[in-house]
Amino acid sequence: MNTDNSFVNFHEVQKSYDGSSLVVKSLSLTIAKGEFLTMLGPSGSGKTTSLMMLAGFERPTGGKISVAGRDLTDLPPHRREIGMVFQNYALFPHMTIEENVAFPLVARKIPKPEIASRVCSALERIRMGALAHRRPAQLSGGQQQRVALARALVFEPSLVLMDEPLGALDKQLREHMQMEIKHLHEELGLTVVYVTHDQDEALALSDRVAVFNNGMIEQVGPARAIYEAPETSFVSSFVGENNHLAGIATSVSGSACAIMVGNAQIQCVAVGRLKQGGRVVVSLRPERICLALSDDDFANKVKGIPKEVVYFGDHLRISCRLESGQTLTIKQPNRGGIPEVSVGHPVILGWHATDARALAAEGEASNG
Amino acid sequence: MHSFNVEYAWSMLFRVICGAILMFLIAPIFIIVPLSFNSEPYFTFTSGMLHFRPEAYSIRWYEAFVSDAGWRVAVRNSFFVGGLSTLLATALGTLAALGLNRPLPMRSFILSLLLAPMIVPIVVLAAGTYFVFAKVGLVDSYVGLVLAHATLGLPFVVVTVLATLSNFDQGLVKAALICGAHPTMVFRRVTLPLIAPGVLSGAALAFVTSFDEAVITLFLSPSPEYYTVPRKMWSGLREQISPTILAVATTWIVLSLMLMILVGVLRRQSARATGNR
Amino acid sequence: MAEAIGFATPDDLGRRVARSRHSDTRKGLLLLAPALVLLFIAFIVPLGYIFRLSIYDPIVPDGLPRVVQALEHWSGSGAPDEETFRALAEDLSDARKANTVGLIANRLNVEYPGLRSTVMRTVRRLGQTPPVDNFTAFFVKADPNWGAQSTWQAINQLRHSVNANYYLAAVDLRRDASGSMELAPEENRIYTTLFVRTFLIAFSVTSFCILLGYPVAYLIATSSKLVASVSIMLVLLPFWTSLLVRTTGWIVLLQSQGVLNDLFVYLGIISDENRVRMIYNLAGTLIAMTHILLPFFILPLYSVMVSISPVYMRAAQSLGAHRFYAFWKVYFPNTLPGLGSGALLVFILAVGYYITPALVGGQSGQMISNLIAFHMQSSLNWGLAAALGVILLAVVLILYGVYNRYSGANRLMN
Repeated sequence: MNTDNSFVNFHEVQKSYDGSSLVVKSLSLTIAKGEFLTMLGPSGSGKTTSLMMLAGFERPTGGKISVAGRDLTDLPPHRREIGMVFQNYALFPHMTIEENVAFPLVARKIPKPEIASRVCSALERIRMGALAHRRPAQLSGGQQQRVALARALVFEPSLVLMDEPLGALDKQLREHMQMEIKHLHEELGLTVVYVTHDQDEALALSDRVAVFNNGMIEQVGPARAIYEAPETSFVSSFVGENNHLAGIATSVSGSACAIMVGNAQIQCVAVGRLKQGGRVVVSLRPERICLALSDDDFANKVKGIPKEVVYFGDHLRISCRLESGQTLTIKQPNRGGIPEVSVGHPVILGWHATDARALAAEGEASNG
Repeated sequence: MHSFNVEYAWSMLFRVICGAILMFLIAPIFIIVPLSFNSEPYFTFTSGMLHFRPEAYSIRWYEAFVSDAGWRVAVRNSFFVGGLSTLLATALGTLAALGLNRPLPMRSFILSLLLAPMIVPIVVLAAGTYFVFAKVGLVDSYVGLVLAHATLGLPFVVVTVLATLSNFDQGLVKAALICGAHPTMVFRRVTLPLIAPGVLSGAALAFVTSFDEAVITLFLSPSPEYYTVPRKMWSGLREQISPTILAVATTWIVLSLMLMILVGVLRRQSARATGNR
Repeated sequence: MAEAIGFATPDDLGRRVARSRHSDTRKGLLLLAPALVLLFIAFIVPLGYIFRLSIYDPIVPDGLPRVVQALEHWSGSGAPDEETFRALAEDLSDARKANTVGLIANRLNVEYPGLRSTVMRTVRRLGQTPPVDNFTAFFVKADPNWGAQSTWQAINQLRHSVNANYYLAAVDLRRDASGSMELAPEENRIYTTLFVRTFLIAFSVTSFCILLGYPVAYLIATSSKLVASVSIMLVLLPFWTSLLVRTTGWIVLLQSQGVLNDLFVYLGIISDENRVRMIYNLAGTLIAMTHILLPFFILPLYSVMVSISPVYMRAAQSLGAHRFYAFWKVYFPNTLPGLGSGALLVFILAVGYYITPALVGGQSGQMISNLIAFHMQSSLNWGLAAALGVILLAVVLILYGVYNRYSGANRLMN
């Protein structure tokens, strides 16, 4: 990473609650100024604990966290100058919207007239000026979310943490708020550390995504790389939907390889170093598989028998049994010019060699 | 059809029984109220009262209550001691509940110790308090009464504040801290206002406990100068029983009723503040 | 690489976690400290003092030090030797100067009634004609009690300043002439009789509370909102009303010239001469205590009952169970924890009751607390009162421990 531009720095951070098992094993991560980084992972993977250590609510058992070159270890949360949005918003129920947003400014002993004008403009930005005197319980979930955002940003912190901020909203509102957060990030030049278990949200928002599993980062990188070039089988199955085909590597040459799946040979991209003759898992995104016509130009074409076809409106979802006995799931966009599919009638499935990624199977040493 | 009738009869019988039990619960309280307006010095209904003759009713026992210097002293002492011991119990009990709300070794032992004054035989505690306080000159003193009453009120505050804290979202404290507020400001501006209903309910219970305490006062206040209302009532019931006691009791019932309603309102408020987010 | 700065090995991992937990604990204890200080001053020290009173009994070893020493050679039968009587003469004349004769005489009198006058008479005689020799003859002449073995047995029992004599007395045990333990004759077993009565009263009150409280709790938990809230008000009002007021109410209702008796006479159920005695006896204690403790049973049971989903009963009935059968087999077992903890709480509170039996119990309705108060305030036999108190306290604390294990102290009220 570009260390000159490093703003937030986790250096070999560990956390244990009981003294024997580690919730965060050894986290080293650098976040650049102005970056939007998402910590993505299943629950219990250590992402929220990492965020809580950055906020100062948990003390690292080992290692160091610094922001803008300053060691945070002994700095209590109220002096860290970090903005934060919580999962359930954590708006103060006994204060009005206005008082909630003013709270960080009051805590900083800013003169009253200035507080009034800054709160006013913050509420205008989120289009909540009219509701300034309501209590949080009188607002909808989306409105509360926006107030929480305004409260986190009103004192103009350069670092903002968000802990599953959209978890309680319905799908449509969530997508709308994602855009709003993205715009705020761009306009204000914020550095955002965002925690979520929702991979779509992570991909849509982030400059970079760090995928957590079992207290460790499995992979860090731009959203596109995480989705399209997963480096571990955990990442490939956790981020997005994936088909996994077990096979044997027959020939490996640089990044290209050929894999035998059943008695069909498949051209793939080799991830890491594969052993010739070793067991591999080929991961293949459902949307990258097409129902092929005979004249289509695919490196891989395999015959399959549809076992189930589900109509989703914008796409069809088809499960096919291959001759090897393994199953492939296909997402076929619902557009013209595709072959007729019906259960039991064989079809040709095609995909490009670059869309199939061969990873060493678990238990098989990927590099010597 | 037959089974329906049997069930109906059963449910009617059940309601009648419950009604009788509820009567049992309130009869001795309500019976006092009309009798306190008796114009005769009897503890029962005169035939005049039963016929609703106006001259059978009077407020003479209330006048006797108000004009009696002894009762006035007792009322003043009760409010003074009750007020101070409530303040003490509420402050210490709230702090203790906040401490118990954290991870703590021997937490359940400390909690049962804090609640023990509720269940310990009062005579034993009263006698012990008398001997110990006598050694340091706290018999026949307000300080001694306040300390002893605050100890009895403490468990009520601890229990109600702990219950309120269990509904209190600790995320709000985190949010306030990360907003830049110092922990004391967080307590003053966020925690305290939100647990206030629980604190006040606890305070009301502590006040009632002190106001109703007779046994410790019996030991700690031998001289009438330090009598409280229950202490004076105790003498009244044991020695020269006079209908003035009924006037005192009726006034007291009204006070209890008001406190009970206050706490009911506070509970509802607290449920609304914390439950509806 | 793994051993870089800040990277914890498993060994010091535990230490670091412990350190951060330690600072949390310190903050918690700091918040608890003021309450614990109050509790120490006005709760633990007083109860500790009662315990001390019950076992610490230094009057005889302090007042009669030479006698106590001389008695070490006493065979235990008959009167002791001349040396012991000389010691007695010296100790008593010292006590006369120190003005502690009354104290010693009272203590001996508690152990062996009659010794008070023996001591006082002897001391008077000592002042008039102090003996120079033949002390034994002097004392036996002054009062024949001094020649009796039982007198010396009583003194001998008190020779240690820490002893269990008060506890023996508190369970009606005493030493016979040979010094071995025996139960007091049945008509003199005041304390065991009273302990048994106390437990019986507490047990009866608990049973009444279960019988009367269960239906009401069930009514509140299962009725429509209006009935439930009116009923709960009627339960809460007594809970908030002063114990003395409620006791006054019962006196008004139950005394022989009271409202109920008047009503019975008016209705012709009884004649004016045969008014029923319902108060200032055991019945008064039982009625008033049941009334006072009933809310303590109903409220926790109610909170358990509302948490039982009506779905269970509906499910049982839909499976063909009769309504009563479903209640007995499905609903009732689910309420047992609440019933048990409520009953235990009522029992704990009832065992230590004082005010109500004192005011409405007459003779037959007195409980152990009343006797403790009597010995504390009137007979001034503090040691015995303390021993009775410690026994009562121990019973209550054991039950409280069971209660805490069973249902958690924080459910004490809600």
